[in-house]
Order: sequence, then structure tokens, then C-alpha cells
Amino acid sequence: MEGTIRAAAERIRAAGAGPARPGRDPVNLPMIRNWLEAIGDRNPRYEQDGVAPPAMTQVWTMRGLHPVVEPADPLSAMSAVLDQAGFTSVVATNCEQTYHRYLRDGERVEVRSRLVDVRGPKRTALGEGWFVTTDSTWYVGAEAVASMTFRVLKFRPPGSTATAPASERAPAAASERVPAVVSERASGVAFERAAAAVASDALRPVVTRDTAFFWAGTAAGELRIQRCGGCGELRHPPGPVCRQCGADRQDHLVARGTGEIFSFVVHRHPPVPGRRLPIVVALVELTEGVRMVGEVLGADPRQVRIGATVQVDFVRVDTELTLPAWRLLP
Amino acid sequence: MSVAVGIVLPELRIPVTPTFVISTAVATRDFQDVHHDRDQAVRRGSKDIFLNILTTTGLVQRYVTDWAGATAMVHSVAIRLGAPCYAYDTLVLTGQVTQASSTGCVVAVVGRVTGGDHVTGQVEVGRLP
Amino acid sequence: MISGSAAIVGVGETEFSKDSGRSELHLAAEAVRAALTDAGLAPTDVDGLVTFTMDSTAEVALAREIGAGELRFFSQVGYGGGAACATVQQAALAISAGVARVVVCYRALNERSGRRFGRVSRDVSSAPTSSGVDNGWHYPMGLGTPAATVAMVARRYQHVFGATGEDFGRVAVAARRHAATNPRAWFFDRPITLADHQASRWIAEPLRLLDCCQESDGAVAVVVAGVERAADLRQTPAVITAAAQGSGADQYVMTSYYRDNLTGLPELGVVGRQLWQQSGLVPDDVRVAVLYDHFTPYVLMQLEELGFCPPGEARHFIADGAIELGGRLPVNPHGGQLGEAYIHGMNGIVEAVRQVRGSSVNQVAGAGPVLVTAGTGVPTSGLLLASSGRGWVGR
Repeated sequence: MEGTIRAAAERIRAAGAGPARPGRDPVNLPMIRNWLEAIGDRNPRYEQDGVAPPAMTQVWTMRGLHPVVEPADPLSAMSAVLDQAGFTSVVATNCEQTYHRYLRDGERVEVRSRLVDVRGPKRTALGEGWFVTTDSTWYVGAEAVASMTFRVLKFRPPGSTATAPASERAPAAASERVPAVVSERASGVAFERAAAAVASDALRPVVTRDTAFFWAGTAAGELRIQRCGGCGELRHPPGPVCRQCGADRQDHLVARGTGEIFSFVVHRHPPVPGRRLPIVVALVELTEGVRMVGEVLGADPRQVRIGATVQVDFVRVDTELTLPAWRLLP
Repeated sequence: MSVAVGIVLPELRIPVTPTFVISTAVATRDFQDVHHDRDQAVRRGSKDIFLNILTTTGLVQRYVTDWAGATAMVHSVAIRLGAPCYAYDTLVLTGQVTQASSTGCVVAVVGRVTGGDHVTGQVEVGRLP
Repeated sequence: MISGSAAIVGVGETEFSKDSGRSELHLAAEAVRAALTDAGLAPTDVDGLVTFTMDSTAEVALAREIGAGELRFFSQVGYGGGAACATVQQAALAISAGVARVVVCYRALNERSGRRFGRVSRDVSSAPTSSGVDNGWHYPMGLGTPAATVAMVARRYQHVFGATGEDFGRVAVAARRHAATNPRAWFFDRPITLADHQASRWIAEPLRLLDCCQESDGAVAVVVAGVERAADLRQTPAVITAAAQGSGADQYVMTSYYRDNLTGLPELGVVGRQLWQQSGLVPDDVRVAVLYDHFTPYVLMQLEELGFCPPGEARHFIADGAIELGGRLPVNPHGGQLGEAYIHGMNGIVEAVRQVRGSSVNQVAGAGPVLVTAGTGVPTSGLLLASSGRGWVGR
């Protein structure tokens, strides 16, 4: 059976791109407005410039309510082969779209797809299956305007056997019948590495009973300053015992989040894990009177001055760490 | 574009009503019954109707352009799909800049639902030429 | 009373390089043997060892390597380069208290070819200690190198007192001028101009590359003995006229950012006041100053904190070459850590001893006492050394 699937995959792959399939309608504002309204996108640019949201690209060539079966379409052809072999269910795992330019009102779009590869059989959380990857390119005339790599898992639903008839027809691309977390990460690996490069590289504070309130605060979007439960003295960095009155009942207040730059550094060398240099790091005197160190976000180093007013912002590194940072106020 | 690696985008919470699932499915011309017919969806093993991929792609793009502004130019959206986003759940989108240059940046986006990560992805965004 | 009770009777060094090609233990043993030879003592005479908590060579490992016998005193001092002069203070304390007779202070490091302190260190920011917690208030925010932590203070100092990058540069120019005539210095025969300094690249603004000391491999050891014993030994003793440690109020390690001002080094003020009080000397009595120069701005601030000039006026004090050879107060005739080598301040102690003996390659004429300081921005220490019978009028 594996041999049959591989042979079919090779045949379909070797056939190259299927026929060009034109969209039903040209790019048009009514459909764009419907899309913006449904998605909740208030970006005024599309109406103003008469262009379509890039994520709508595939919409223009969707097959609609009554799709015609197209045996020449590579994904349809491959799906039919896998259905025959009992891998009747499908779940999409990856969709990577690249937009060469935005589509303009009135342009006519067509799409061509080809089979890139079929890998399997793989054991997944859903059951045994095959990953089918296709590439699609959208054209306006001869100009390629967007492309997409799309991957689905065609799998055998648990409980069925290899020879059981297909319990349901595989749907066309861009839909899923049995949604679930898929164990194979496929191209998602690239994303995970990128995110991990930031999160796992991050320098983390040592959090103790004395300091946990501060970090819980940043995670909740609050800049907390320790306040002595005895005399009300404010203190940062915090500690377990009040220096003024000796009380060890510590409380905190939520800072207004504003302050002035007391001093700052433009760090250019050497590298700092998780950051792209240069960065500006400032010691800020908060309105409440204590000082605190944080990165100044989005600032041109030449614009930063001692005495400049800043507002706190929070940088969420991951679920365990949120850093306080500053933004310059105009 | 003065964007620093590590910048965190404001969170976007989307109440996923049946109306939201259905209107977005129709607006993306996806008429698969699992996106508008609850009985059919349950019959097929789902607990409810759920968002379609084109909508997820659209939401990820919108989430980043909401932050980057009207002059942003989206070059690519790459997503990996995980747990389904069912009606009556809340989709929480978070993002962080993972790469930055003078011409643009890459934002890593995660969309979470009760069942886990519905979507993880990367959006490459630059400025209008 | 510590003043005048003990003396440095021997000094030893390895070569200073960028890649020693041997272990830190090896370097330590070599420097200690050289120091003992210089003193005319045998390894079996050593009954005390002191080093830095940052040193990788434990006292017992070193004792094995040099063939020392029983040890009666061993100690390690914390806070990085702030420990340098304090190792000698520990030795003098042990000797004056009668618990040890010959104590060797040592520091060995492959700082250039091994672990480089100038890099961002994950270890120090994640240590499950109070210091690790302290570091959590700036490392995760991207402030994680010594240069950057100093730059924060230097920027404020410039803002308040009007000091400029050129004022910092003059410190580097003096150090490199001195190193240029010291064959032991890495930057031997390589002086720089103020223009060179101003053209060097930014590291952490407002610090440039030439505001930062070099990185070195090497080891230094000094032998401390009681003054009576010292009188019988080979070398002119460098009597420990004063020795002090200091930590200020609201002290942090490199990031004492939460005090009222950010323009001084109060911990060094604590040291300075003790040095003058123990010795009965005043700043004007000092013939040569060996000031810890990991970063140039802190040299200016040390001159102010020790009372050589009022706060904020060091830039005027140094403007006419006062800290160069032939000036009012020659600073770091060996070239300092900017010019000779970065051995965590211990090579400065050796230079001070040579100035007392009259054997420095850049000898400053006269017989007055020599001041040495240790790492700044951290809890620190200092020494006043003088030849026997001189410079400790306080007794």
C-alpha cells in the first residue's frame, strides 16, 4: 500500500502544476468590505487605496458553495489516492503565505497548484497518516502576486482499518474536518526556534519570596513598588525588612508608571542575549520617587536625554517573565 | 522603523461567537459545513463549529497590522495550526517582535484557546515603499 | 593597630598576555614561587594564603602546588576587583593578630583566553543568592556588562559636572603613555593620543573602547610578613602604613543606582577616610597613586573621593598632565590596567611596592607614600605603602 501511495505521489508530483483556476470575481470592494467587517479589521488603508488585505488572497479563488470536482488538481488527486487507502480524514497543519504585492480593486486573479511532497506513514496524535504539501501561486496575468505552501495531514481515523471504505470524502484544501493538535510540527519548527531564541536566551531574574510581588505585577501589567506595611516607606529594589522602621510586613502600591530618565546607557557591545543592539537602558526616577532600570523601547538613542519623561510599558518574554520597560513621552 | 526585538504586542481577545465563526467563514467563501452547521460539526466529531483557516490567517494578519499601523506592508504570514477554535471560546492573540531591522520586523504570534494553542505563526511586516 | 605592623616583602608575577597557555592554578603557583624567591623565603615559610572569592584556585590547591606545609590562616575576599587591597589587609590583620607569620596574597586568571568578565554572564544573573536577586533588577533589562553599569554612572557624572568624553580620554592617554615605557606592559611602546581615544568605537555610551581596560591572562602574588621579620629579608620592605576596606550605604555591586547621587564612589570614601586616619597622612603627602582603572570615569571619581580635589573637579585637576609622569600626582606609572595588564588590581600593588623600593621602570622620585586602590563601583579596599620608617607618621 505504501508503495502505491508513493508511486501515485511521484506521478502527481512529476505532472507539475495543475491548470490555472480563475477566481469567480475580480478583486472587488464589496467582498473586501465583507471580509473587513467579519474579521474586525479597521485598517482604513484598503478602502483608501483600493487594495485587498493580503490575507484575502486565497479568498478570490475559493471554490464556493458548490465546488466542482477537479481531478487534475494535485491536492484533490492525492487526496483521492489516500482516501482509497483508508486515510480518509484530513486536518490542515501549516499555511505559509507570501505576498509579493497587494492586489488592487478590479484585478483578475488565478491560481495554480502543484504537489511538493507526500511524507508518511507517520504516527501522529490523531492516528497514522501522511503529510501532503502543496505549493500554490496566484497570478494577475503573467505576474505572480502571491504564493502559499499548504500542508495537510491525511490520516486514518482511530478505529477504522486500512481496507475500510472511506467514511467521508476528503474535503478540498483549506478546510479541516477533524481538528486537533497534530504531533508533527512540520514547518512550525521554524517558528518555534525563532520564538525560543528570544525566550530561552532571555536573562531571567532570580525570583524570591521578597521579590515575587514585583514580577507578578509586571505579568499583570502593573508596576509595583514595595511599600512598608509599618511606616509606608517606598523602596525599590525591594527587600524583606524595612530600613526605616524595621517592620517585616511588606505591602506594595501600583505605580502610576511615569517618571524621568535619571541616567541612561546606549549599549552597543558586547552582545546581550535575546536583544538586537544597540539598546538604550535607562535608570528612571519614578513619579513616586524610587528609581528603576529598564530598556527604553522604540527610541532613537540620539533622542534620549536625562530628564526626559517616560511611561512604563511591559515586555512579555514568555509565560514566566514580563519585563518592565520605558517609552518616551512626547 | 524603530522596533526592538522583544517588544510585546498588546493582547487581542476575540469572543468567538457562532456569528463570528459563520460570518468569517462566509466572508472567506468557505462553505464547509463544520464552519456553520453545528449538528453536522458534532456528527463529524467536533464539539461545535470552528473557525476556518482563512479566517485564522486573516486574524493573524489583522492582529499585526492593528499594531503596526496603516502604513505597514505585510510580506508574509506563516501559521501552524493546533487546537480548533470552537464557537463560544475566546481566542487570545499575543505577539512579540523576534527580528527587527531598519526596514521591518518579524512578529511571532500565538493565538490561544481553552484547548491550547490554536495557532502559532510569524508575520513578516515592513513599511509602504 | 594595623598601621605599620606588617610589610610587603616579596612580589611575583607571570608574564601578562592574552593567552597564557597554562592553567590558572599553574599561573598562581608560578607567581607565588616568584614572590617567595623575591622575598628570600621558602614555600615552607608560608602559613597563610589569601585570595579573591572570584579566584579559581583554592588555597589548599595552591598550597599543594607550591609545597607549603601547614596553613594557619586562609581567607577569600569578595566583590571582584574590590578585593585586591583587602587581601593584603587580611594578611596584615592576621599577622598583627599573631595568627600567621608569612601570608601570601595571590590572584591568577586567564581572563582573556578563558572567562571574559566583560561579557554578559548568565551565571551571575541566575545565582540563587542575594547578589543574584540584585542582578535581577538590571540584567534582564539588558544592562549586564561592567562597562554598561559604569556608563550609567558616567553619564550622570557628565550631566551633573559637565565632564566630557575627552576628560575620560585623558586618563587613557596618561595610562598608555606610561605603559609605553614599561616593557612588562601589553601596550609597551604603543602610546595613544586623545584623538585616538575620541576615534575609538562606542562600547556603552558614553564609554568608548579606550575607556575600558584590556583583558589579560596572568597572575600576581605578594608576600606579607611582620615588620620585624621584614627587616631581616632580602628586599626593602613596603610597610603597610594603612589598609582599609569600605562599603557605602545602600551599596550594590556595580549598580548602586538608588542612592541620592550618582556622581561619586562613597564606598571608596569609606576607604579613603580610614587610610588618612590610620596613617595620619593627607592627600598632599602622596607621591604616587595607583588607582584602579577598569574604566576611565572612575579614575576621575576616585581622585575626588580620596580628597585630591573637590567633587566634580577632577577634570580640571588632570587637565594639565597632573596625573602623568612629572605631574603633581603621577597615577599608575606602570600603565595601569588600561596599559599594563588586567590582573584584577593586584599588579597595581606590585607597582606600588616597586615605587617604594625605588625599582619601578617609571620610577617617581621622592620618598613619600604610595596609595593603591582596588576595584571601584563595588565594595572596595585601599592601601598606603611606604618604606620603613617613613610615611607612617600617625604611629
